[in-house]
Amino acid sequence: MPASTRRVLGALVATVGVVLVVLGSWMVVKLGPSGQAQFSTTSKAPGAVVVASDVLNTVDVPVRVTATRPEGGAVRLAVAPTPDATAIVATSAVSAVNAVHYPAGTMDLRATGSGELGDISTADVWRLAAKGAGSAELVIDQSRAPETVVVTSGDANPLTDVTVTLSWANRAWFFQALAAATIGAVIAAFAMTDLWQSRVIALQSDTAETTTMEVTT
Amino acid sequence: MIRTQLTSRVRALAVTVVCVAMVASVSGCGARDSLVGIREAPKAKANTAPLTVEQAKKILTRSFTAAYLGETTTGPAAKTALRAAYTREGLRGVSGRVKLASVQSPVAHSLLLAPHPKLLAVSRGFGYPRFIVAQTVASEGGLPVLHLLTSPDAATPYRIATSSEMVPPAHVNPFAPLGQGSPLVTSGAGLVVTPAKLMSLYAAQMAFPAKPVRKPPFVADSFSSQVRTGAAGVSKAVAVQAKFAQVHKVSPRSVYAVGQADGGVLVFGVIERTDSFKVKKGQNVKTSANKAFVLLSGKKAVTKSASITTLEFVVFAVPASGGRATLVAAREQIVAGSGS
Repeated sequence: MPASTRRVLGALVATVGVVLVVLGSWMVVKLGPSGQAQFSTTSKAPGAVVVASDVLNTVDVPVRVTATRPEGGAVRLAVAPTPDATAIVATSAVSAVNAVHYPAGTMDLRATGSGELGDISTADVWRLAAKGAGSAELVIDQSRAPETVVVTSGDANPLTDVTVTLSWANRAWFFQALAAATIGAVIAAFAMTDLWQSRVIALQSDTAETTTMEVTT
Repeated sequence: MIRTQLTSRVRALAVTVVCVAMVASVSGCGARDSLVGIREAPKAKANTAPLTVEQAKKILTRSFTAAYLGETTTGPAAKTALRAAYTREGLRGVSGRVKLASVQSPVAHSLLLAPHPKLLAVSRGFGYPRFIVAQTVASEGGLPVLHLLTSPDAATPYRIATSSEMVPPAHVNPFAPLGQGSPLVTSGAGLVVTPAKLMSLYAAQMAFPAKPVRKPPFVADSFSSQVRTGAAGVSKAVAVQAKFAQVHKVSPRSVYAVGQADGGVLVFGVIERTDSFKVKKGQNVKTSANKAFVLLSGKKAVTKSASITTLEFVVFAVPASGGRATLVAAREQIVAGSGS
């Protein structure tokens, strides 16, 4: 292999190694030993908040959904198959969570519909439900995906100023990130060593070539 | 020479770094998402049950508890409980039963004195209406009772639409596993008769004066025989004072056909029977002997006409191919009466 090609390859491998180290280390710090990713958003608009399956069921681990109202008002979380939940909120004003951003930890909210949502607690479509004063949470497993979480006030008052947090965890991600950082460090170290050695050899051979040329002259 | 080689190497390195950076930025969003397990959400499966077994059992317990409370207590709370437990013809039937509790035989009282309803089938897929089929056996024994609970839309809870005692020696063939749910059959494809046609022919053959149905798609049964015999007896008994006729009409949207594991269907339906009496001129018919009619109409005598409305709750087993439909369960309930 020509020396120049070897050097380019070495540089490429070293770059990959460095990228792995940076990304892996950053993930290790970001996820923590529990391997948890967390996203949250606050809805100020009156009306229910919906976390649809395009967000709720995009992971294969259980998702913890928490809703918190700062003034301590009642809050109710319920999860149902997506077609049913969609039908129930179809004719009312809702704020739908339609995207999560990692590593920012934020979620996008999109306001849809109009009209007040009546009492939806009597419907039989809800697989799980939780109610609390100020805060409530549900842990949604993925066994019956696609499902949608609907957050309501749980009483006669419309829901306003609620913070919805989604989190999920997988300890394996922490160890995978750690492994990526370690492997990246090893790759970068080997590649850089190789680059250094080839540079030294090249300089030595250039010096020898110059000397030979001078002698010949 | 050396400068040229160094320049080309630096250029190659720069190109490499730029390429890596471009690839990383293009795939960055997907890579970042996949770092925390984000992938595409699965699509809804049409061949699953929208209810879990636990949900369905909770619904049964809630409905039967409300039904029991509604039938065993009085006042506004009892009415509220009945409305929470029953729907449509089921509510009409139980309202009639409650009104006539003092004059009907104890056997005809609540069908719900069963501690542990057996869940037989739930709907498949996410369409509406949805149903739950359950069976109860009274703790003191007696015939098993088949119940159909229905929900017309996502916002409306399941309620009891029909309850009928099984007709010995009938049995119910197995349904698909509860996790898969059972389909609501609306067409007659693969069946000896469509559910709607079966019900309309069954209703037609019970008319009085009789209108025989040629090649009925159902086996003769004791329930329809009793109804026809009863009609003939009433007609004979009142012949001097009134002209009697009996009409049977399938209640709209009461027919539910639930697919079974063997390809057959269990058809639930409600037939409204109207007994009409046209009093002959100059006659004054005393009705006090018919306590149910007096209770419902408030009339102890009629001089022009009278009518009694009865709901007939029936359940048929329709085979997938060959043979004829068989009556599996049936009961009747007087719900209204009027006279002048």
